[in-house]
Amino acid sequence: MVMFSQLRRCDITDDQDRQAKLLDLSIDLLDSDYPPITRLFFLNDKNKKHWLPWEQVRTIDLKSHRIGVQNLNERQQLVAGSLGKDVLLGDDILDALVLDLQNRRATRANDLWLEGDESRLELRAADTSFGGFLRRLSGGRYGRISKSALCDWRYVEFLRGEPDAVRNGEGYHLRVARLPPGEIARLTDMLPYLHAAELITLLPDAKAVDALEVLSPERQLQVFEELEEEQALALLTLMAPDIAADLVGRLPTKLMRRHLERLPQLQSERIIDLLRYPEDTVGGIMTNDVVFVRANLTVAEARKKLKQPLKTPDFVYIVYIVENEESRRLRGVISLRNLITADDEQQLEDIMDPYLTTLNPLSLAQEGAYRVIDSHMAALPVVGGEGQLLGLVTVDAAIVQVAPPSWRTQAPRIFS
Amino acid sequence: MKKTRTAGGLERVDAQEAQTLPLEPRSIRSGLRLSIRGRGVHLRGLRRPPKGILRWLAILGPGLIATSAGNDAGGIATYTQAGAKFGYELIWVMVILTVSFAVVQEMCARLGAATGRGLLDLIRERFGIGWSLFAIVIILIANGGVTVSEFVGIGAAMELLGVSKYIAVPVGAVVIWYLVIYGSYAKVERILLVMTLVFFAYPVAAIMARPNWVEVVRGAFIPTFRSDPAYIFLVVGLLGTTITPYIQIFQQSSLARRHYGPERIDAYVGAVFSNLMSISMIIATAATLYVAGHRDIETAADAARALEPVMGASAKVLFAIGLLGATLLAGAVLPLATAYAVSEAFGVPKGVNLDFRRGKVFFSLFTALVVIGAALALVPGLPVIKLLVGVQVLNGILLPIILIFILLLINDKRLTAELKNTRRNNVLAIGTLILITSAVVVMLGSQVLEFFGIKLFGG
Repeated sequence: MVMFSQLRRCDITDDQDRQAKLLDLSIDLLDSDYPPITRLFFLNDKNKKHWLPWEQVRTIDLKSHRIGVQNLNERQQLVAGSLGKDVLLGDDILDALVLDLQNRRATRANDLWLEGDESRLELRAADTSFGGFLRRLSGGRYGRISKSALCDWRYVEFLRGEPDAVRNGEGYHLRVARLPPGEIARLTDMLPYLHAAELITLLPDAKAVDALEVLSPERQLQVFEELEEEQALALLTLMAPDIAADLVGRLPTKLMRRHLERLPQLQSERIIDLLRYPEDTVGGIMTNDVVFVRANLTVAEARKKLKQPLKTPDFVYIVYIVENEESRRLRGVISLRNLITADDEQQLEDIMDPYLTTLNPLSLAQEGAYRVIDSHMAALPVVGGEGQLLGLVTVDAAIVQVAPPSWRTQAPRIFS
Repeated sequence: MKKTRTAGGLERVDAQEAQTLPLEPRSIRSGLRLSIRGRGVHLRGLRRPPKGILRWLAILGPGLIATSAGNDAGGIATYTQAGAKFGYELIWVMVILTVSFAVVQEMCARLGAATGRGLLDLIRERFGIGWSLFAIVIILIANGGVTVSEFVGIGAAMELLGVSKYIAVPVGAVVIWYLVIYGSYAKVERILLVMTLVFFAYPVAAIMARPNWVEVVRGAFIPTFRSDPAYIFLVVGLLGTTITPYIQIFQQSSLARRHYGPERIDAYVGAVFSNLMSISMIIATAATLYVAGHRDIETAADAARALEPVMGASAKVLFAIGLLGATLLAGAVLPLATAYAVSEAFGVPKGVNLDFRRGKVFFSLFTALVVIGAALALVPGLPVIKLLVGVQVLNGILLPIILIFILLLINDKRLTAELKNTRRNNVLAIGTLILITSAVVVMLGSQVLEFFGIKLFGG
């Protein structure tokens, strides 16, 4: 019905013909998909900010730029804290970065589209077009409204640019959490790092980890350091060990030790194990979150045994067969497909593939990466001097290694 | 257990017995010994920035190269013109500017680290849409002007090599456009940087030309004021070409606010090196051209003559190569950074990784800057050096406006929190601002008065 820039030109008049100039409007962000206007803000004659509740509004007359209210004298002065959880349309939302989830982009609200009437006026959309820019500059006089450039507010996430805002309990719709992790990560990559950290803080841990894993290493570090320690630990715990190791290895030594000591034993040891290898070696690009099972089992036993281990790792498509859990000496591999389709009574040793290409943890990362890519396998195992299974290099990690630098952050990572 | 090298696992695993270590073990860095949960561990895979001497090399290496590249066409023209016209007299400006430049440079780095955002982005959010449009226009004018001067530089460099600018400039524009849009720019960047190393001949030339060191020191520490419009014009030009750090806050910073600290030194060291380089250009030109009575540089060939003490007959060609490298670099980076910053302020998608459909505004801006820059550089009969210096003067005029924005933003506690300006910072920065503003006012004032027939200076 009306653009915020047009409404802003209006004067507020009451029944006794007292007048004031409209400054701003506030909304209750979390009220509904389309949040209603809650208050009008204006200056009194002493240049102090005051407000009236929206219920006071009787008429909106855009032709004569007038908003009629009952009684301007029922105004209240705006003092620190009296804003509560309300968000100001002009001061907070206009010009700020907002996430347009429909088009998967970070953009700016040049103007806002309001709909409704005197009883309830709702924020319906953000105008991100150049027209909105013009309209703002001209105080609502010029700038065509193009419906196609309006971002439906139902698909907008409004960020404050301050990770602390989440911790202070500001309202968020969390609409962004509905997107797949890769898309969240792409969006995060477009944002300045404080916005990005705010977004990661906001997301549920599982989503946050997925998004954080996909970010470029520098960005990851910037964002990670803005997180609170509890959340940082929670995310590190859930993260794939290879990515966690890359991240932890970049932290200042003191912080690194602190995190490693506070992480759950298993994850902490995995990360430490990976950090033993220089980053330009196969060990530096492998992950050690591997699914393996003892050789002298039947298929049915193996399936039962693997039920739990298969739940967490990113890469589960190949199961490695080892002599026993202690020595971890690699005997062969079996794909998940073969394991599921095989007969229950068959021995694992009979159906596994005992011929395999392995990688040495200390050979060059580049060579190892080419071996993985040339093998046309989803991953190759990394085996130590005693023949023990140390980890695996997925094709994702290999591609990142050999791709030109400009591709690295864009290469999708599926397995790890 | 027999340790043999196996051929990539073509045997059965059990026959393979053990994957042996490589025959020639790789040398491994010592890494970091840490005790975690009471257990000693040796971590070699830490991704750490280098420390000690390596750190200094890491700072100075790129810093030095960036410094030489930072001396683009406009810079070279202004510094050599200053040396040719007034000998060693203007060096004091550069000495004062070293402090100012270091302060401004450091403020920009800090603002970037504290907010992680570009300048126009911050202006849009803090000062609203009107001011942001104003800043966009200022930056478009300033950077547009410099872009033109880069293309003029490309033309001048190629003419030294015997290629007509009417061929060189359009080809240069197409090459820049293609490299940036199709992403192979990063590779070519290194070649261009190597080309600019030619300019390290300037400090050598400055010494080999046997300048009168007493005069150099006098010029550096005793300010002289001349009532010559050309003098004040060049002072503003020097300001405009030296203090151009806001380039770096066009882009989002890769620093995090929690670790800001070492970058302060980087900024200071960078500023000092960059200005030493500029001063050596002034000295080299003063000791050759000024002394020889050649007081006005009109073409790039004149400017190249300052390098003759080092390079002899090949000075022209080598100068052309350096100039070409520097101008191609700046000719690509400037339009790109500008398009990036403006898109950011408008809130439209940005980045060379987008396809055209998604980044219409970004690509159009970039293309327009390149095309218009190249087209204006092709206007026949341009006074090359005058134009280059003129653009730097224009930058000097616009500089106070940008500085005011930077100062307001960095003193905004909500943005910068503990990275806010200290009082000393503010004193130095405001001092710089006053210095620049008064230079600009004096210059503009004298020009306006001259227009009305009143001569302030008897030039």
